[in-house]
Amino acid sequence: MKNRREFIKTGFALGAAFSLADLGGLFAAEVPAIDGTSPVPAPGAGKSVLIAVRDGDRVAMLDQALAALGGIGAWVKAGQTVLIKPNIGWDAPPERGANTHPALIGYLAKLCFGAGAKSVSVFDKTCDQWQRTYANSGIEKAAKEAGATVITGDDRSFYREVAIPGGVRLKTARVHSLVLDSDVFFNVPVLKHHSGALMTACMKNLMGVVWDRGFYHRNDLHQAIADFLTLRPPTLNILDAYHPMVRNGPRGTSVEDLVEMRTLLASTDIVAIDAAAARMLGHKPADVRHVKLAAGMNLGTMNLENVDIRRFKLA
Amino acid sequence: MPRSRLKLLRVAAALVVFAGLTAALADFRNLVPAAVGRWLAGVQLVPSLVALVTGAALSLAGVIIIVATLAVGRVYCSAICPLGILQDVIARLAAWTHRGKRKFLPYARPKTWLRQGFLWGTVAGVVVGWSGLTLALLDPYSNFGRITAGLFRPLVTLANNAIVGLANAAGLNSLYRVEPHWAGVGALTIPALMFVLTAALAAWRGRLYCNTVCPVGTLLGWFAQRAAFRLEIDRGACHKCVACLNVCKGQCINLRTGTIDFSRCVACFNCIGACEHGGISYRLAWRRKTSPAAPATAPTACLTPPDPQRRAFLTGTATALAVSLGAGLRLSAQDPAGPEPLRPRENGGRVDPDDHTKAICPPGAASIDRFLDRCTACQLCLSACPTQVLKPAFLEYGLSGLMKPRLEYSAAFCNFECRRCGEVCPDGAISLLALADKQLTQIGEAHFDQKKCIVVVKGTDCAACSEHCPTKAVHTIPYGDNLRLPEVTRDLCIGCGACEYACPVLPEKAIVVAGHRRHGRARKPVETKAAAPTPAGDFPF
Repeated sequence: MKNRREFIKTGFALGAAFSLADLGGLFAAEVPAIDGTSPVPAPGAGKSVLIAVRDGDRVAMLDQALAALGGIGAWVKAGQTVLIKPNIGWDAPPERGANTHPALIGYLAKLCFGAGAKSVSVFDKTCDQWQRTYANSGIEKAAKEAGATVITGDDRSFYREVAIPGGVRLKTARVHSLVLDSDVFFNVPVLKHHSGALMTACMKNLMGVVWDRGFYHRNDLHQAIADFLTLRPPTLNILDAYHPMVRNGPRGTSVEDLVEMRTLLASTDIVAIDAAAARMLGHKPADVRHVKLAAGMNLGTMNLENVDIRRFKLA
Repeated sequence: MPRSRLKLLRVAAALVVFAGLTAALADFRNLVPAAVGRWLAGVQLVPSLVALVTGAALSLAGVIIIVATLAVGRVYCSAICPLGILQDVIARLAAWTHRGKRKFLPYARPKTWLRQGFLWGTVAGVVVGWSGLTLALLDPYSNFGRITAGLFRPLVTLANNAIVGLANAAGLNSLYRVEPHWAGVGALTIPALMFVLTAALAAWRGRLYCNTVCPVGTLLGWFAQRAAFRLEIDRGACHKCVACLNVCKGQCINLRTGTIDFSRCVACFNCIGACEHGGISYRLAWRRKTSPAAPATAPTACLTPPDPQRRAFLTGTATALAVSLGAGLRLSAQDPAGPEPLRPRENGGRVDPDDHTKAICPPGAASIDRFLDRCTACQLCLSACPTQVLKPAFLEYGLSGLMKPRLEYSAAFCNFECRRCGEVCPDGAISLLALADKQLTQIGEAHFDQKKCIVVVKGTDCAACSEHCPTKAVHTIPYGDNLRLPEVTRDLCIGCGACEYACPVLPEKAIVVAGHRRHGRARKPVETKAAAPTPAGDFPF
């Protein structure tokens, strides 16, 4: 994908059509259509799968997770447009753990191209000034080196107003076109403590694709976070928990805020993966209210006993 | 003198300065390296003198300009001053409407009283303590800065936005849209008026502004009048063909008397090449003055009683020195602690109500008083600021703070890792602090009003303020049923405004930053290694 016009065009052609039906029983639910008309997963369609990998470097853990999920080819088909949405919130270097590690983003982009992706785009609506944040997070460089297109999240004209009929509080939002139009949507956040939401992992990371975050904050933050999932859940969630920020999040003040856990999680079930993430930070999943609300809306499985967790230790 | 070598040199220098400063000041997405603006602004007369006199930097550019003027006349005005060059550009554009012919400007008498009035008004302003106002209003470089940053930069941004769509369609992804930043009406009016004034005067009468209003022009003119080498007319060679008048911008060539008023000559060197008879050239003027008839020898020069011109020159120099000294004393008196006045606040971080101000000045400014005295409102920092948190003030600082940068947190906040304003500031109004110092410099303090906070009012989580806080001065404490309520530890707060910016409460924010008149120093948080929340070594699920 070279530009916005192109991805909008291809998006209309291909976007809504993508389905994971061929991966059958691995997944709890079909991916809902983009227009939000069928957001609720069919209950009892089988257990969600959660891949949990420990004790490797990030790239090795991602390789292991993808291998357990049928390889990158199960997710990216030739000619498809791919969006990778990292957490690029803060003007901080990779070692501070405030953003997704650039190595993961660069490697994943490379894999996508290897699988024949037509384009791979990367963006986030940053909290700190976006050019500095893109640069100092290391993500811009890593993504560009892998051939990906790095797009600003700061251009309002890239966002489209869409209805979210399944939402309880969030009924409409201006959402980045890449999210609406890309064939494949990889959600690749970093696990962190959050002073407001208690935790930020996969669900909270999706706040970075809407134009007006203030609306979330004014209208029951947790509910709005859960509501967004009814519009466009990611194709696959990959959580960077190599050294989670366990306090002073989500920005952090120094590397002292991090605890090394050398873990990576992956799942199509965003509730399950966030439930596991909550455990890693020492919380009960239900204490993270957006996880509990999303589970209540049948958007995934919070009870990890009902999740098919496949654990891998690389060392 | 070769026909065009001097003019070529002048045009080349002018192009470099004009292009560089225009790029730096019209920069809307941090494309121009900080050094470009810093350097080209640093060689401007007023910023350089302010930096030197206040001891902010050993900035010799101003002294060199004065010495050069004393040697060969007002080379600053044509080769270095961007407002002068802008007027030349405008005059040239205006000439196009006259079928390419430059307007013929005959000799005009100097507006001595006006000139002196503006100069002494500016100087008096410095001495009695409105330096902020008079210097800022009349410094030609700063005027150019405000015109470019305030008027042209938003237009350049709009032009960029207009072509982004096309560029992207053509595969150029390096272009992107940028929100144009317009100053408020008040802060925009002055540069707009100044632009109209200089443009109209330039189109009408060449360098009339420089020879009437501009105090720098008058000051340098005073030196130029006494320059060692001056452009003079060879009366024997002059045919009174007015070729020189056809190209003169200063209306300073009097063919009736065969003289050039060198105090108004802006040293553009147009006339040298225009004269077919080689009738205008530089001549050494100092020697001739003491004894014009006979070749001067050292003993006779010493014995000659001081002539009135020389006496005027000496008294003038003495006055200028005395005034500069006065101005210097005034400028440095504002800041007893010198350029590094950061001290821990004696009252343990508590806020003296008198200390609060609505206008917040940038880290490195040390105090509002020091800042307003030194800043000439060139707005280079506004253009360089990556977050655009810096906005030109109108009356927020009071009259002497007109158009000077202040931090405005409604749409942006001061980036924790950035100190670009200090990197570009040419006159030391914003000192370049070490990043670690900048990160502890308390320019204001956050005030949290629980009664307005979403967590209290709506009973739902928010904490956008604490999320954005770089020092965790704003953090959260458990509240109600599994909620988190913001709390401010004042002595950790640096006043960057991230919390105020992020607060989603409408219309009045629940957390706002009150500025300090005099900047303080925040406490450095103690960092101990965080404890692991779960046992190490295995999956906690």
